[in-house]
Amino acid sequence: MRYWKELVKGIWSRNPQLVIGLGFCPTLAVSTSLSNALWMTLAVIFVLVGSNLIISSVRKIVPGHLRIPIFITIIASFVTVVDLLLEAYQPEVYRSLGIFIPLIVVNCIILGRAEEFAQKNGVFPSVLDGIGMGIGFGLTLAVLAAIREVLGANRLFGYPLVQGMEPAAVMIMAPGAFFTLAFMLWAMNAINARKKGK
Amino acid sequence: MIRDILKPTLIIVAVAFICVMALSQVQKLTAPEIAKRALEKQQQSLDLVLPGFDIGPARTAPVDGRDFTWWEGEKREDGEARKGYAFIVRGAGYGGDIESMVGVDEKGVILGLSIIQQAETPGLGDRCVEVAHRETLFDHIRGGIPNGDLPNEPLTPWFQNQFKGVDAGARISIARRGDWNPEMRESLLALNAVSALTGASITTEAVVRSVERGMALLVKARAAAAGKGAEAKQ
Amino acid sequence: MEIKVFVTILLSTIFINNYVLSRMLGLCPFLGVSRRLDSALGMGLAVIFVMTLTSFITFPIYKYVLVPYRVTYLTTIVFILVIAALVQLVEMVIRKVSPGLYDALGIFLPLITTNCAVLGVAVLNLSSGFAAPEASLGLLKSVTQGFGGGAGFTLALIIMAGIRERLEIADIPENLRGVPITFITAGLLALAFFGFSGMKL
Repeated sequence: MRYWKELVKGIWSRNPQLVIGLGFCPTLAVSTSLSNALWMTLAVIFVLVGSNLIISSVRKIVPGHLRIPIFITIIASFVTVVDLLLEAYQPEVYRSLGIFIPLIVVNCIILGRAEEFAQKNGVFPSVLDGIGMGIGFGLTLAVLAAIREVLGANRLFGYPLVQGMEPAAVMIMAPGAFFTLAFMLWAMNAINARKKGK
Repeated sequence: MIRDILKPTLIIVAVAFICVMALSQVQKLTAPEIAKRALEKQQQSLDLVLPGFDIGPARTAPVDGRDFTWWEGEKREDGEARKGYAFIVRGAGYGGDIESMVGVDEKGVILGLSIIQQAETPGLGDRCVEVAHRETLFDHIRGGIPNGDLPNEPLTPWFQNQFKGVDAGARISIARRGDWNPEMRESLLALNAVSALTGASITTEAVVRSVERGMALLVKARAAAAGKGAEAKQ
Repeated sequence: MEIKVFVTILLSTIFINNYVLSRMLGLCPFLGVSRRLDSALGMGLAVIFVMTLTSFITFPIYKYVLVPYRVTYLTTIVFILVIAALVQLVEMVIRKVSPGLYDALGIFLPLITTNCAVLGVAVLNLSSGFAAPEASLGLLKSVTQGFGGGAGFTLALIIMAGIRERLEIADIPENLRGVPITFITAGLLALAFFGFSGMKL
């Protein structure tokens, strides 16, 4: 289909964190375990797709100078829906993600895609853009979370790994997050540079 | 000029109205489930701090100008009826208030402590809810567990476990002996002490002092309720 | 006891649980504005003002409007709209009072609305239990937490700006320039701030 590009670009070439440089706050804070990463990704995809869908549907009737507060209201509504659903049906996840669920509202990725894409494109490509960006966000988050959980808590998805190994607690905390993301960005830059060199 | 302000305001209000209406529907759908979870969680805490007790409904009595809530439970042990009391305490930690559920017996000795809500520093203060694990993922993969599931882990965090047997009515001391293990129980209880969390003195203090305060309030609340009961009987 | 609680809140939000270096909130402006010391300071002061005022307004709205009318599910929407309005207000004030600062901050001023730290502190005030019926002096504690959060953010921002001004003239490998080296610096700062956890209060 001719919109395939919109779906796939979010995963690598326009990866939200590693290429565009958005959405660092939740990426660093929620990547303490693979389980958190998975659920956060699902929540973000839900909000991203929902808001992109509504915003691209109403893009022709929304007055330009009012668009930011209206977009924020729509995004906040979807975030509230996710918040309520998680509180009701996944209380452990709700407790684990904590304040980062309402903070999805200020995730630059969502408002960014609304401004950049959903505002200017049709419903179907906007939905695909949302899914693609969400998956890309999730992949970066998952890699980061896997590294941090294994090295920092000696676990994967909550299950203990190696008996008797004392994990490097710094990985689970802020410094570990900063360093790991820095190395991932470095790797991304190096790979892109090599591609350009060819 | 008025139209310039009125029109955008009306549009925004209309959008907000639609969103709020939609949200209230979602909220109505999820509200019963959320309420159920909250009740389950509370019952779980109660059962944890008063193990084996039949626990009655919550009671309230005004103490020092505020309502104090507690639960009373009964259990038959060695042919005797034992009473237990549970109440919620809160103390100021690094990241806000720490809420704990405490269960005590008639003499004020702690039967169990469960930290319900905390937002302490990861890796330091939040170790107050840290549980040790027994099986590893590799054991699991190598087929070590017959029914295929990881065993349910009812292990209590050591920080909370060590409160059992401590007298909440007396002053609780804080010792610095690192992570608690069962071998320390006797020597610490002799001093009516608990071992602090390394690098999180405020977290430890918050929990300990809130337990002492809660116990004092419980005594006053029961006295107030008993006084009222005596009045009602007249 | 009461004074100690407020000192704890301040020390905790500024040093021990610094919003940028420990809670990892407010990273977008942290990366974007920390290049020069003077714009960093200006941004920091704006954020302190917004965070303190946000706490001051959102806390009573939650405790005395949302809770009694049992519409707490509207918290996210109400909070973010309040913040958006506040930031608009701050923008207008800065434009009048200091046009130079307004130009220097540019796009980052309206971006304070999407600063995770601002909505973060508003929500943290609630999850810290300050709004619970049994809690006392909730509003004062929330405002203190808001101020401390902003001050901690500013502290991290200023330190980072000072370091980045030096990094500009340092010889950094091509692929590390820009965001990667900034994150490594942030990680080292976060490690340094970890030492504060041992503080006895």
